[in-house]
Amino acid sequence: MIPPIVLHGLIYGGVAAIALLTLTAWGIWFERKFAGRMQSRLGPTMVGWAGLLQPLADVLKLLQKEDLVPAQADRTLYLLSPPLTVFFTLATVAVIPFGVDVAVANLPIGVPWILAFSGLMVFPVWTAGWASANKYALLGAMRAVAQGISYEIPMLLTALVPVIFAGSMNVNEIVRWQAEHHWIALWPPGPGLFAFVIFFLSCLAEANRIPFDIPEAESELVAGVTTEYSGMRFGLFYLAEYLHTLVASAVASALFFGGWNGIFGLPDGIHWMLAKTLTLFFLITWIRWSLLRFRADQLMRICWTYLVPASLALVMISALWVHYAPQLGPMWGG
Amino acid sequence: MIDRIAFGVVALLLLLSALRVVTSKNLVHSVLWLGLTLVTTAGAYLLLSAPFIASIQILLYTGGVITLMLFGVMLTRRGEDIAIPNESSEGGRALILSLATFGLFTGAVLKTPLPQEAPPFTGSTAELGREILGPNLMAFEVLSVLLLAAMVGAIVIARRRDPGSQRPSLGLRIEAEAKSQEGKS
Repeated sequence: MIPPIVLHGLIYGGVAAIALLTLTAWGIWFERKFAGRMQSRLGPTMVGWAGLLQPLADVLKLLQKEDLVPAQADRTLYLLSPPLTVFFTLATVAVIPFGVDVAVANLPIGVPWILAFSGLMVFPVWTAGWASANKYALLGAMRAVAQGISYEIPMLLTALVPVIFAGSMNVNEIVRWQAEHHWIALWPPGPGLFAFVIFFLSCLAEANRIPFDIPEAESELVAGVTTEYSGMRFGLFYLAEYLHTLVASAVASALFFGGWNGIFGLPDGIHWMLAKTLTLFFLITWIRWSLLRFRADQLMRICWTYLVPASLALVMISALWVHYAPQLGPMWGG
Repeated sequence: MIDRIAFGVVALLLLLSALRVVTSKNLVHSVLWLGLTLVTTAGAYLLLSAPFIASIQILLYTGGVITLMLFGVMLTRRGEDIAIPNESSEGGRALILSLATFGLFTGAVLKTPLPQEAPPFTGSTAELGREILGPNLMAFEVLSVLLLAAMVGAIVIARRRDPGSQRPSLGLRIEAEAKSQEGKS
């Protein structure tokens, strides 16, 4: 006899994973096409109807390639790393509320759960780079770790801002609070919006997206961590990157933009969550194809000298606001 | 029933991974097993109805473990081989010490009256916060001063270097170079 909570987790988890992987395939199509339009890359806008066959063509090409393992490599870790990146990314999905009370697990520790698993992401990336027995891969892995554990700090601190406002670590409760009061990015003018910007930048850095893709800077490191990987194992890294981008967009829209809460009094529901997530995904894609890559030291300086102090200040301002705003009257308290 | 199974799996994983930490012949494998041990400990906390401690355990120790691994690789890596030897020589003494610790803990556990049922799985975070910032505020603050002292110490040690060989970092040098180029054109 399986307890209902386990059954709920299995069914919702399965559905969420399949839906997200499908959405990721769509995301890859969108990005290929968008990049094609922006930078005159002719292929992806033409394969099949509106370029819809491009993801299929990508996957077919990856499947045909030989699954290579370098002779010097640490075989187990080398083979294990790519699936683990996908696993850790999917694990974060568990606590994201997609609709009104629709989540794989309604955990009281949603926010720390998300942060813990996105912190674990550096492990498979690092082991992949180390196990490849390749200098470029190792350098890429070192950079990935340095970047990952640095940007985790502003990400963690800014994720505390919604927690302070809503008074709960349950992501679903945070969204519910926003539905009852106001979106955290909009009302207390300042802290919410700035916290969102810093959170968003840190997510980009954690997902190794341009302008923070130093670990796989192809102009200096061949392909960084993924240098030795071929075929579908490379494909899994690719998949994890897109999945991470989508999940980060979903987390940001749940924490700062009211998740499933509709605008102008329109009915709440999963469509709002989807719309907000895809808008942020679009923004990330736009940034990727418009900007250049930072230098490694600039990247670290941005994090440690601007983002970390700024997010500490934001946490303090939010705490003061929550403490003193109710005394200013009902208009301010929210 | 499912609690028992979950506990069995967690306990087995914990023991196996902890054993592999000391028996692995490769430093990186050792550290990765240590990572698994710490994550499984979080699982044990979860089974003990302490979800907040569990997530903080994962959050803090992953960073710690990955840093340990980096230092392991950067400080001990020699030659081209990716396998970093991790030989232990003090087997006998380590065995005595760990057996003694085991005895100590077993004695303590047997002497303490423990609740037979796990407490209900609730969000204990709020109570934890009140407990820490209320009656135990002093201890909490002393602990943070200790951590601050450790951090200051680490920075002082890291910054101490030969005054003659002080070179600006690569980034600063590149920037200075770029500035002088701009000045010329």
